[in-house]
Amino acid sequence: MNFWNNVTLGFGVAVTPMNLVFAFVGVFLGTVIGVLPGIGPMTGVALLIPLTFGMNPTSAIILMAGIYYGAMYGGSTTSILVNTPGESSSVVTCLDGYEMAKKGRAGPALAAAAISSFVAGTFATLMLMLFGPWVAKIALRFGPPEFFSLMVAALTLVTSLAGRSIVKALLSTLFGLAIATIGIDLQSGVPRYTFGNLELLDGLEFLVVAIGLFALCEVFVNLADMSQAVQERLSIKGGLWLTKEDWKRFTPACIRGTLSGFFVGGIAGAGAAVASFVSYGLEKKASKYRDELGKGAIEGVTGPESANNAAAGGALIHLLCLGIPGSGTTAIMLGALIMLGLQPGPLLFQQQPQFVWGLIASMYIGNVMLLVLNLPLVGMWVKLLDVPLYLLMLFIVLFSFLGVYTMNNSVQDLYLMVGFGVIGYLMKRTDFPASPIILGMVLGKLMEEKMRQSLVISDGSMMIFVTRPISLFLLIVAVVAITNPYWKQIGRAIGGLFISEPKKAQL
Amino acid sequence: MNVNREDRIASLVVAAFSLAYLIYAFFIPMPTLKQQLGPGAFPKGIGVVMLILSGIYVFQQLRGGVKEDEKRAAIIGAEDKIEGKAGIKTIGFMLVLMAFYAFVFERLGYAISTFVVFMVGVLYLDRRHLVRDGIIVVISSFVLYFIFTAFLRVQLPAGPLKLLGL
Repeated sequence: MNFWNNVTLGFGVAVTPMNLVFAFVGVFLGTVIGVLPGIGPMTGVALLIPLTFGMNPTSAIILMAGIYYGAMYGGSTTSILVNTPGESSSVVTCLDGYEMAKKGRAGPALAAAAISSFVAGTFATLMLMLFGPWVAKIALRFGPPEFFSLMVAALTLVTSLAGRSIVKALLSTLFGLAIATIGIDLQSGVPRYTFGNLELLDGLEFLVVAIGLFALCEVFVNLADMSQAVQERLSIKGGLWLTKEDWKRFTPACIRGTLSGFFVGGIAGAGAAVASFVSYGLEKKASKYRDELGKGAIEGVTGPESANNAAAGGALIHLLCLGIPGSGTTAIMLGALIMLGLQPGPLLFQQQPQFVWGLIASMYIGNVMLLVLNLPLVGMWVKLLDVPLYLLMLFIVLFSFLGVYTMNNSVQDLYLMVGFGVIGYLMKRTDFPASPIILGMVLGKLMEEKMRQSLVISDGSMMIFVTRPISLFLLIVAVVAITNPYWKQIGRAIGGLFISEPKKAQL
Repeated sequence: MNVNREDRIASLVVAAFSLAYLIYAFFIPMPTLKQQLGPGAFPKGIGVVMLILSGIYVFQQLRGGVKEDEKRAAIIGAEDKIEGKAGIKTIGFMLVLMAFYAFVFERLGYAISTFVVFMVGVLYLDRRHLVRDGIIVVISSFVLYFIFTAFLRVQLPAGPLKLLGL
């Protein structure tokens, strides 16, 4: 099918009344989730997955994608008005957004955030449309060893960017892989780690772990610290529009943020949060008004908000074209799609073009909906911040129980979910990142399958992973990602071997 | 150097879990039909790497903790750490409430169990707006139950409401 036929097919799927409704519901819920502090896009997508049961996969992914990039839009509102990020990729927006609001320029700050998000989101969707099929074609040449190495690289890249400690992040990833081994081994029929429990023969439900680790954990975290003083909420004075001077400064920052966010956050798999930080750093180097950053510069809002939306779109390229999630949220989306009977990956473009192109087309539509929702209705979003925290947390508990129970009608799942909530809280207290667990859990079974297939091809030789060039390259990427933080120490140790004692003393 | 009691306990728990996981992997039976990589191989691999890493973690804690790379954390946007004393009473209350909710979810049915749990939660956490919160509780429990079962045809446990034909 040629490119234009695919685009026509996609819009034909996306503009059906049902899918338009799902796109709207997704971006609306995503904006709500982004605005409310304490619930990030990962928690939001996990909590709302049960809504997709019984839906066809195309409608389900349209809903989930809407929630994902809707949350990126919504997160900026609280950053600007309350100096509290709605989610992690809006942390940097607080620096200049809140300062602009204090100077009575909350309207232009919100407008800059919304418009830059729209531009970046549209750009990322266009890239997905133009390059997605090409990436998928290359990936079709991958065999089991390449896929195994790709998953190792993806796991290590995400791990190396999660949390403060590589050791803790790796342990989280391995814990996720360990969870994935629970249940019957599909190749041999042997039960593993079930301890005679019949309900565990199918393994641990992905949703039980995801909702426990994110949603219930947030309930513990937020309620444990309810006595924290509420930040003063600033109001929106004056109009929402940008002045001519604002537009002059907005445009180059938006371009820089979009490109850096797409490549760093999306293609390189660093994620939306890292993309926003990298963009801010880029503004500090490249902007003519860098001295104003931190004091209410419009570039400080435009760059990071463009970057996080471009990264969200870029992460979907990984998910759809390679079947490898490039972030915690897309890992949850992958889990949901597998639950719905779909296997994202390079074959998807050939076997389910209506799914892929329908999603791409709905992302264009969703971006327009978000611009309309976020600008004129910003006053309504701000009112959400008045919902008492304790009510919000009790609702999260209610929806968590409802969502998990409706999957299998199992009370054991409810207990397991609560258990993972406790584990998630203890992990947060000891600074273990939770998103690598989800990635490990989602990729674990597939990794094992690809490894076993590779060893059948090579007749048991592990050398197959290093003798095939693409597989070797990907494993090198994995090693580089994990060892990156230690290069200075390694360099010093090697230097110490070659520099003589008197020279060392001189230095 | 950052010496943290919670980290020390965590390192021992993680090491114990890794060891238990690895030991159990050796008890996974081989299938009747011979395979290149049996069902126990992948778990053994995960277990070995986990044990090594947990050993490093324990060693780091015995040495007095690790100097945290806050600069790196700032660059990658690592989540804020939870520091300071936890609201143990509130966490404990929520944990017991959730366990109770799971226990009674099928026995009392969705509507009644949700009503009870939500009401107890409101009374404990903030009882200043009982009328408003009471209305919200009734809607969240009974009205939502009716919407899910009658309109959306989603099966939820009825509990004693079954006797009323609901």
